[in-house]
Amino acid sequence: MAHIALEKIEKTFGKVQALKGVDLEVRDKEFFVLFGPAGAGKTTILKTVAGIEFPERGLVRFDGEIVNLVEPSARNVSMVFENYALYPHMTVFDNIASPMRSPRYKESEETIREKVQKVADMMGIGHLMDRLPSQLSNGQRQRTALGRCLVRSPKVFLMDEPLAHLDAKLRHLMRTELKAMQAQFDTTTIYVTHDYTEAMSLGDRVGILNEGKIVQIGSGDAIYYTPANEFVAKLVGEPEINLMDAEFVTEEGELKVRLDEAPQLFPVPTDVAAVLRDNYDSVKKWRVGVRGTNIPHSFEPQLTSLEGVVYNLEPIGNKSILTVKVGERLYQSVAKNDMKAELDTRIYLEPDITHALFFNGDTGQFVTRHNQAELLQGR
Amino acid sequence: MAQLILKNVYKRYENKKKSAQDYAVKDFSLHCEHGEFIGILGPSGCGKTTTLRMIAGLEEITDGAIFIGDRKVNDLHPKDRGIGLAFEDYALYPPLNVYENIAFNLRAQNLPADEIDRRVREIAPLMKVETLLDMKPAGLSGGQKQRVNIARALVRRPQVLLLDEPLSHLDGKMRQVLRTEIKRIHNKIKCTTVLVTHDQMEAMSLADRIAIMKDGQLQQFGTPLEVYDNPVNLFVAGFIGEPPMNLMKVTISGEGERFYFEFPRQGIRVRVPKKYSPVVREGMEVILGVRPTDIFITEPSEDSEVSVDVFENLGDEKRVSIDVGEEDFLTLTTEDERRYTKGERIGLIFHEEKTHIFDPVTEERILGVQK
Repeated sequence: MAHIALEKIEKTFGKVQALKGVDLEVRDKEFFVLFGPAGAGKTTILKTVAGIEFPERGLVRFDGEIVNLVEPSARNVSMVFENYALYPHMTVFDNIASPMRSPRYKESEETIREKVQKVADMMGIGHLMDRLPSQLSNGQRQRTALGRCLVRSPKVFLMDEPLAHLDAKLRHLMRTELKAMQAQFDTTTIYVTHDYTEAMSLGDRVGILNEGKIVQIGSGDAIYYTPANEFVAKLVGEPEINLMDAEFVTEEGELKVRLDEAPQLFPVPTDVAAVLRDNYDSVKKWRVGVRGTNIPHSFEPQLTSLEGVVYNLEPIGNKSILTVKVGERLYQSVAKNDMKAELDTRIYLEPDITHALFFNGDTGQFVTRHNQAELLQGR
Repeated sequence: MAQLILKNVYKRYENKKKSAQDYAVKDFSLHCEHGEFIGILGPSGCGKTTTLRMIAGLEEITDGAIFIGDRKVNDLHPKDRGIGLAFEDYALYPPLNVYENIAFNLRAQNLPADEIDRRVREIAPLMKVETLLDMKPAGLSGGQKQRVNIARALVRRPQVLLLDEPLSHLDGKMRQVLRTEIKRIHNKIKCTTVLVTHDQMEAMSLADRIAIMKDGQLQQFGTPLEVYDNPVNLFVAGFIGEPPMNLMKVTISGEGERFYFEFPRQGIRVRVPKKYSPVVREGMEVILGVRPTDIFITEPSEDSEVSVDVFENLGDEKRVSIDVGEEDFLTLTTEDERRYTKGERIGLIFHEEKTHIFDPVTEERILGVQK
């Protein structure tokens, strides 16, 4: 049980300001994901909560109480690092029991037995107590490592990229495993990752960090459908979102958008047009973001389509990444895995404006999108 | 430009304990066409780099033959084989600038200065290093170093270009950019190319055909889509594709035209595609292989009724996973906006063409019978 609050945290390493006034609130029993590129300050926040790093300014609160000066060991947090090594010579039982046998937490064998069994059952490994780590599957090993952290019933569970060292395939499976186990944690958890799929899948809420600052806090859906700015939009989704300069034109009473100075005009949905008109005077430059999944292509010119050439076509299994060169600009779109095209052949793109994100080009901040309210309703 | 042929090539390292593992490469044959881009793909220790080094002449061949063009090159010195080599580790000459690094091998061949200059200036813009010619390697980024490295290999006008994990040192974004460049240069100069990699995505996106290796032996040789859609064995099925194929042991139940895959967890079953009816029988154990994109959700029915255990919205796609017992999840992806909740009852159908079964002992694919 713990509610955690960070208030205006600042932290400097040498000349680098790692955290520049971070405000963050993690609710009791919430699974909170900190997400951002390398060097954004994710791990520093985690260490600040753990008490391993001391902020120069700002407060750390556990359930309202200021813990800045509380020793890490007295904070009752449990931390899983990227490489959760199990003791190879110890059974599952002894691995899970190990924290309770440390001099500090020394407990009676009877209590240990009881607690270990409870945690192991919860993790679905109760029948594997006598096995050695080498006799376990990867999933079972992960469960054992998590069990070892949970056995002390920490107030807060801190996880620093626990899946990052796994290969891509295993990572998918482990993420699903973690998600399936999540309901059983019942403990406030802060989870650090640089993988947007982990953030979207696991987080009750996701906090996105850039250069020591929180840039958005929201559900997985919110960061995907309504990223707070261009930085977040680029971070979430694969391939990276296409950002285009936009110019608005009113034609026969209808608002239309020109993308990257191309001659074609694409109609703007009316709900978007209404919001844009309100902001029209205050914004000098506009930008539109369209994800690769929302740019269908065709080899024949369409009513409104951008004309370009195939710059690259990469089949990567369940889909192909199609890169199209329009003028001097490159756009990436997602195509079927059996698509065939010679490089440099003519091709037409039809960005779907009903899925486009509209940004204030001066500041990079998100302004609006079609169906915004419906997409986030009740989620 | 030339074709490259490997005929029953073996590599055996001496002074090792006697075992089947003695052979780093075993009975490896490969036929690369003129101008083709071949990927040799496999996990570490599968013999892929040894194979490349044998083609290059850096390793002796224990048995078999290698042809470049119409020449048997077994006993030729590396420099006489007409190959260009670019390793993962760029190893540029630090005291020389980019121009001299690229020109180095040509100078060693005693080509006239104006010919060298012409060739360097011809290759530099292709690899987008023309603005870097005066710089020393220390000032270059990883991506730029690898471009110079490949330029250095190409400037010799090799008959075969050999690339050993050229992208593994680079970060994600740079890797993607250079991957595109390599593909475009290959399209332009059509030099027969062999790429060695452990990254299936890299092999899929670059190669015309992929040779998949395991334990020194060729497993399958085909186009990216062939190896993706029709893996010949369990290893290839598991190695190719991301998210990975669902692979799990199941038991067959039913009879006649109506068979089911029975999963370890009680009551979870899915209809066996009709093409397998002639080859399966009640009680048979097989390993089922089906990709997340080839499972479809229907209304629950007597054919299949399961409950959703995990739903993940990953933005571009959504994933539904079903706990089928023994810690295995059957995962499928959907692209529509529909959301599922934990515990929701659904039915499943497997894609008729793209569902595979494998023999649990030999791990070879069991073919169905098309009617």
